[in-house]
Amino acid sequence: MMLLVMLLLIGCGDQRVLEKLGFTQTTSYDLDPNTEESSDDEKQGQQKLLISVTIPRTRTENSRELITATAYTSKEAKIKLSSQTELTIVSGQLRNTLFGLSLAKQGIWEHIDTLVRDSSISPRVKVTIVNGSAHELLSKDYSQHNRTGKYLDRMLEKEAISQTVPEITLYRFTRDFLDDGIDAVAPIIKQLDEHVSIDGIALFQGDRYVTKVEPDDTLIFAFLRGRFKNGEMSVDMSEVGRINEHIMFSSMISKRKIKIKTTSEGQHYHADISINVRGSVLEYTGKLSLDNVEHQKQIEKLIAEYIKLKTEEMVAMMQKNNVDSIGLGKYVRNKLSYEEWKNLDWRRIYPNIEVTCNVNVRIKDFGKFVNIEQ
Amino acid sequence: MTDSNHIIAPSLQHTLDNFKDCIDLTHRTFPEINVHLVYFDHLINSDELYRYITPLTEAREYEIQNLLIRSQYQLALDSDTVIKGILYGKIAIFHKDDTYLVDAYKPEARSIDASQTETVITGPHDSFTEPALSNLSLIRSKIKSSHLKVIKLEVGEISKTDLYILYIDGLANMDYVKELVERIELIEVDAVHDGNMLIQYIDDFPNSIFPLFSTSERPDTAISKLVAGKIIGILDGSPSVFTAPSSFFEFFASPDDYYQRWILGTATRLLRFAALVITLTFTALYVSVTTFHYEMIPEALLLTLTESRSRVPFPPIYEALLMELTIELLREAGARLPTKIGQTIGIVGGIVIGQAAVQAGLTSNVLIIAVASSAIASFVIPSYVMSASIRLVRFGLIILAGTLGDLGIAMGIAYIVIHLCGLTSLNTSYITPVAPSYFNDWRDVFIRAPLWAMRDRPSQSNTPNKVKMKQKK
Repeated sequence: MMLLVMLLLIGCGDQRVLEKLGFTQTTSYDLDPNTEESSDDEKQGQQKLLISVTIPRTRTENSRELITATAYTSKEAKIKLSSQTELTIVSGQLRNTLFGLSLAKQGIWEHIDTLVRDSSISPRVKVTIVNGSAHELLSKDYSQHNRTGKYLDRMLEKEAISQTVPEITLYRFTRDFLDDGIDAVAPIIKQLDEHVSIDGIALFQGDRYVTKVEPDDTLIFAFLRGRFKNGEMSVDMSEVGRINEHIMFSSMISKRKIKIKTTSEGQHYHADISINVRGSVLEYTGKLSLDNVEHQKQIEKLIAEYIKLKTEEMVAMMQKNNVDSIGLGKYVRNKLSYEEWKNLDWRRIYPNIEVTCNVNVRIKDFGKFVNIEQ
Repeated sequence: MTDSNHIIAPSLQHTLDNFKDCIDLTHRTFPEINVHLVYFDHLINSDELYRYITPLTEAREYEIQNLLIRSQYQLALDSDTVIKGILYGKIAIFHKDDTYLVDAYKPEARSIDASQTETVITGPHDSFTEPALSNLSLIRSKIKSSHLKVIKLEVGEISKTDLYILYIDGLANMDYVKELVERIELIEVDAVHDGNMLIQYIDDFPNSIFPLFSTSERPDTAISKLVAGKIIGILDGSPSVFTAPSSFFEFFASPDDYYQRWILGTATRLLRFAALVITLTFTALYVSVTTFHYEMIPEALLLTLTESRSRVPFPPIYEALLMELTIELLREAGARLPTKIGQTIGIVGGIVIGQAAVQAGLTSNVLIIAVASSAIASFVIPSYVMSASIRLVRFGLIILAGTLGDLGIAMGIAYIVIHLCGLTSLNTSYITPVAPSYFNDWRDVFIRAPLWAMRDRPSQSNTPNKVKMKQKK
């Protein structure tokens, strides 16, 4: 009897049969360029969005469907999008969301919020900022690569492993956004002719894009943001006084500790960031000898000096822009009672706190060749 | 020539009356020595017949009496014994007023072969055959102990089939023996043909889909159950010997596990439980994922799945039921056909239908893989009876998956588990040692621990003598 009822009821309920679905793989959000210019005096919420989604198709290899709609909200856009295709658009396979720079400057929280609320969207969906128009980047087919969506997704994943960009998912973005004492970051990419390339790390204040870390400095940012394994860095020694010497420092393991000191008045903070790096030297061009233990110590010192210089420079830049992307505020908060923290205007204090970086570098190995004559 | 009132004295006339219209009855007369022989020709060995009869026919009449005193000729004192004796393959000799019986029983039987349904790679290959006595001898010859006790019962009001209940005195729990004998005595049916049929009459839960007593064709399995303190039943005419009580997990053990190194035995046993999960859920999972849960599939697989599904005109559940039905048809056809035709069926079914169904766009090739692997996994389960039950349960899960998705699968499995928990085998829990939990037993259920680590008999047999091995130091 139960069986009979069940057999008869097949077809009822919210079935989502595979071949009738369009899985959005990547979504891009932009401000609609047609309304952007005249939008200055309009309220933010009324600004039109240009939303595009890519749906991988199987007709030929790398084929995909790109549909675009303009709407005020992303859910409204979904209705418009779905009227353009024979498939039911579902977002359970979403992997990446791209936000155009112009939109990021206005704030992206309301879009992130929609994504986080939707139970079918994984908290591991990536958040990425596009330097330029996300729609244009997404709509282009990069003939040498996979489907654009997959290409971006894989590239970001790979780069996150080598610490070039942090892996920012909906979960992490939301966590940093809602947490007191840390500001969110996101990888930023830009479109080249036939490629897409990493363009550094976007730093947010609240949900608004403020500035970015240049692609060359992303590893320095990684030192400051937390511990990592498996990084690679090229050190230009001319910045620490040795002209025309370069070091390729690889397989790095870095640990970071932050200590906050307070003066007795409690209004003056001093942050001590100690960074501990171990790694192997892949390449060195210069006068010192890698075989010599004394020289090794010297090289370690030089690298440490370089990192210290760069990190302090970066912290100063962040303080100038008033973005606490490395989360110093969290450590300050840990020092204080709830009342004290609540009464503290961290945004006001942050640009003026003193930050020093102490870097300790150790070379694990320098290759298998030893020149005995030296 | 007895003086009792109820007992009818054996007489030739009475016997022949009883077997009236039985044209297979042989009645030979030797008038010169005044001897009548009555027997069933096909139940006896003709060599034996001549061995017993020749001395009589060669003798003179006055010597007959002396010959019949010999011990192989038993004097029968009542007619029932004579009739029963003839039915059991004895020769009735009527001489004057006396009746003698001589045993020349030799029914038609096949020789002892290797088991077809429970094959092992290593270990003994002999298997039980139909005659109960030859099966009994297989067990007796391997347990040389006077503690091996045998109770003889009869089942079938008409067939009067012999049933031997075996247990080892001091190891088996006598309450269970008593309970089993009582249940068998309650059976009132015309005939019982096989051990697997008999156990349905003594089931605790006749409507459950799962077999509650395990059956085996292998003497080594039967012996291992006996020494584990369980009870064995041998039904005459059936090569399947049943064990009581049995647990669900017993059906997943094979003698091979013990003949290999314990690590291999453990691996194979885990593989069987994996096979259980695969055969139950694989096709159901395909159906629920393609119908409801597209989120669960990795992107690369998703596209292949979509592509293979895109040509199929049915919803996944009909597609899956169609293929499962086909494979069950193939299996059933193969099982009923001679081996040589069976192979053809396998090829036609496996390759032609499978390939053609995909090309014709009736199913997706991913489904073929799912259906085939769950069918193969079902054959990994050593017990044919259990594997058949689980294959049927799978259909329920597929329907649930097609209607309610993963929720349906979860509900289905929960229902199966609840059902299993409620079952008993000879009043012991069917899922011992999981519930009630005897963790000591787990090392012979989920894994096959080293032989030295399995020192106790299984808790389900509730044996008075728990320890089966003592470490010598």
